[in-house]
Amino acid sequence: MATVREKGYTHWDGRLEERRLAWYPIARTGIQLAFRKKAFKFFFAGAFLPSFVALGGLYVSERLEDFKALVKSNKALLAIDPGYFKTFMTNASALFALLVVLVFAAAGLIADDLKHSSLQLYFSRPLRKRDYLIGKMAVIAFFVLVLTALPYLILVIFKLIFAGNLKFLAEYPWLPVSILGWSAVLTVFFAFYFLLLSASSRNTRYVTILIFTTYLFSDALAGILHQIFRTPYMWLFSVRANLQQAGAFLFGVKLPFAFPAAWSFAVLACVCVLSAAVLSRRIRGVEVIK
Amino acid sequence: MKTTPAVREVFGFFGGLAWKTGKTRVFALLGLIPVALAVVVRIMLHGRTGDMVAVFTEILMVFFLQFYIVILALFYGTSITVEEIENRTLPYLITRPVPKPAVILGKYAAYGLLMFAMVAASLVPSYFILNFGRMSRPEVLKAFFINLGVLGLGILAYTAFFAFLGTWLKRAIIVGLIFGFGWENVIQYFPGSTQKFSVVHYLKSLLPYRPVSGGGGRGVALLLFRLEPTSPPGAVLALAAVAVVFLALACWLFRRKEFLPEE
Amino acid sequence: MSAVISASHLSKWYGNVLGLNDVSLEIEAGITGLLGPNGAGKSTFMKLVTGQLKPNIGLVTVRGRKAWNNPGVFQAIGFCPEHDVFYEDMTGREFVAGLLRFYGYARTEIRDRTDRALDLVGLTADQDRLIRGYSRGMRQRIKFAQAVAHDPEIVILDEPLSGLDPLGKRKLIRLIKEFKTQGRTVLVSSHVLPEIEALTSQVVLIHQGKVLAQGDIPYIRELIESHPHQISVRSDDPRALAARFVGDRSIQKMTFAADGRTLVVETPNRDGFFGRLTGVLLEAGLSVEEISSPDDNLQAVFEYLVGK
Repeated sequence: MATVREKGYTHWDGRLEERRLAWYPIARTGIQLAFRKKAFKFFFAGAFLPSFVALGGLYVSERLEDFKALVKSNKALLAIDPGYFKTFMTNASALFALLVVLVFAAAGLIADDLKHSSLQLYFSRPLRKRDYLIGKMAVIAFFVLVLTALPYLILVIFKLIFAGNLKFLAEYPWLPVSILGWSAVLTVFFAFYFLLLSASSRNTRYVTILIFTTYLFSDALAGILHQIFRTPYMWLFSVRANLQQAGAFLFGVKLPFAFPAAWSFAVLACVCVLSAAVLSRRIRGVEVIK
Repeated sequence: MKTTPAVREVFGFFGGLAWKTGKTRVFALLGLIPVALAVVVRIMLHGRTGDMVAVFTEILMVFFLQFYIVILALFYGTSITVEEIENRTLPYLITRPVPKPAVILGKYAAYGLLMFAMVAASLVPSYFILNFGRMSRPEVLKAFFINLGVLGLGILAYTAFFAFLGTWLKRAIIVGLIFGFGWENVIQYFPGSTQKFSVVHYLKSLLPYRPVSGGGGRGVALLLFRLEPTSPPGAVLALAAVAVVFLALACWLFRRKEFLPEE
Repeated sequence: MSAVISASHLSKWYGNVLGLNDVSLEIEAGITGLLGPNGAGKSTFMKLVTGQLKPNIGLVTVRGRKAWNNPGVFQAIGFCPEHDVFYEDMTGREFVAGLLRFYGYARTEIRDRTDRALDLVGLTADQDRLIRGYSRGMRQRIKFAQAVAHDPEIVILDEPLSGLDPLGKRKLIRLIKEFKTQGRTVLVSSHVLPEIEALTSQVVLIHQGKVLAQGDIPYIRELIESHPHQISVRSDDPRALAARFVGDRSIQKMTFAADGRTLVVETPNRDGFFGRLTGVLLEAGLSVEEISSPDDNLQAVFEYLVGK
């Protein structure tokens, strides 16, 4: 059956060529709305702090002689290697800062649409469900990539500039790929995670609490179970732990938890699959009232 | 209508409503996790009473005190005003012949009772399971009631504070999260009087366990880490003062402020 | 007659946006329509009257008592808000009965009043369904029910007919008119002119935060001296009629309607024109099918006043 836009109400005999990215307006609007919130700008700027600290460390590492007194006992900390990047990119504070920024930007992505019955407006346009979801995910992807891939790839460049040669890159050629890979994991996971929770309620405040509760509680629960059962596999219950395990694997450094990283990837993938299933049911143009 | 009967009527109106919502079911389910953990621990540590008590104090009580009641109070406390504004149902309340503070107080009472019921429904079975066979001992029973009372006081104090935040600020949730999981977790480990600038300090001071010098003791090391307790009467007074002061501020603000729905 | 609702130099702004600008008016018993386009200030005025907002300048009183922070005033006020919002987890009955609790009634009285209010709006059969499952019209009716369940002396209705089908609108209009016969004061706002016209002839026209006019429609029309009246005369020979009036200096404009049988005359002196018309018709021996004033209605009055 011909879709509405292909019917002849325009009385045009030509062939409609779609040169548009249907998800792009949704993504653009979501990003613009996030920046309208004053508190968001504060937290967004604050989330760059770890990368500035890392930059400072890079500088000091190239000027060790000048900072001898400061770093005499901390020389090991300033070994600039994939572990250095992994430390800054995957530490709990960095993840939490990213979470806070994303809460501002993404908690209401679907919740607000449900609250204002906007889904019917969206799907009365030539927009498919996947375009809608890709648009929403693109908002999350934008902020994750801007806060992870972008600053740390720039830091690699700074390292090369400070060193004055390409030795660092020759030694660790996979580092940019690791940074991108880690950012991709964060992007995909957080996109599904946030949209799953945002689609669970029309109340953005409740979604915000859900996001923090599940994130913090999963960590607390994993810690509790670890204390009870004394097995590292209990950390699979923790979102943070799984992300850090995956991150360590991608940077090729020692894993923080004593179980294969494949388990963490599996858990993260399960969350994504669950989210996809829920979103597929929840996002529809017609509201079902029970 | 005078304030007291108005509070009663608001309490009755929201008391029934709050139990029905899906969010209450989710939070109640969250409270089942300690019960499930208690069952698992009971099976795994069968016969090891000391370890089971330690699990309760070091794990479950930490969950209740520093997570569960904070999350509940944050959501329901801010909901006292914020949900009426977000849902645009505030006109239904403030165009009735009830004093505005009665709305705050009535909802506070309704949500406080609901939260206490959820906490009790979680604490009672988990405590009972982990102390099964010892419940006839007076000190065990006493400890149970004290723990329950402490959580109740925590609900009162936190809910009042978050109710004030919800009435005062637009983004009360974020500030509340920073307070509840940032400030409260960090400041209690500061020495001297600094600890006293947190609600959880007074709650821990009331617990029926005492820290040894250096902080904590067997089975309470985590729960009472670095605690320099305030005397129980002082702690109760402080918590009551927190509840009364912030409730009064919330009522005062609610009476003075105009609330415009976000267009 | 003493004013039930009185506003004196009332101004309200939201940041830099002026919601109401120096509004002074008195509303007496009966039905008064508050008319204006979206954003005119109608809801702002109603929120000030119902104590939801505090005036920046001026005063608004209800039966001589300030509305802001004065809950006692609400014993006699029933308010039906504009927005389609409810406690969705309640049934219709629970919603009406629950809000009646705030008036200090005994349980049996709450039950009886709830029954009456639900019966009044025709929702008795659906009273035990959750409001979230109600249609748009049912939601509007339950909102009206909660506003009148306590038999208020003053009823303030913000866009009460919005979302209702034509039958529903007619029923509600009839209900509102009954309030007038009961001696109550009703303030109704709408941006739909025929709705206001169907309810009342007493209107307050609001535009851009200012009151343009207050009174009954013909009276307001008379006030507009700068705009001539339009009179439409349908006859068998409109051109012959027009020829008779060409020399009349009080007539500013004459046009012929598309049907070819109607002459439309614009004159500031309507009564004078009617006086001369009968004489001209007799002299010329012309027959007339219809005489009407196309602009003697709220739409025309409003358009004149807002200069559209």
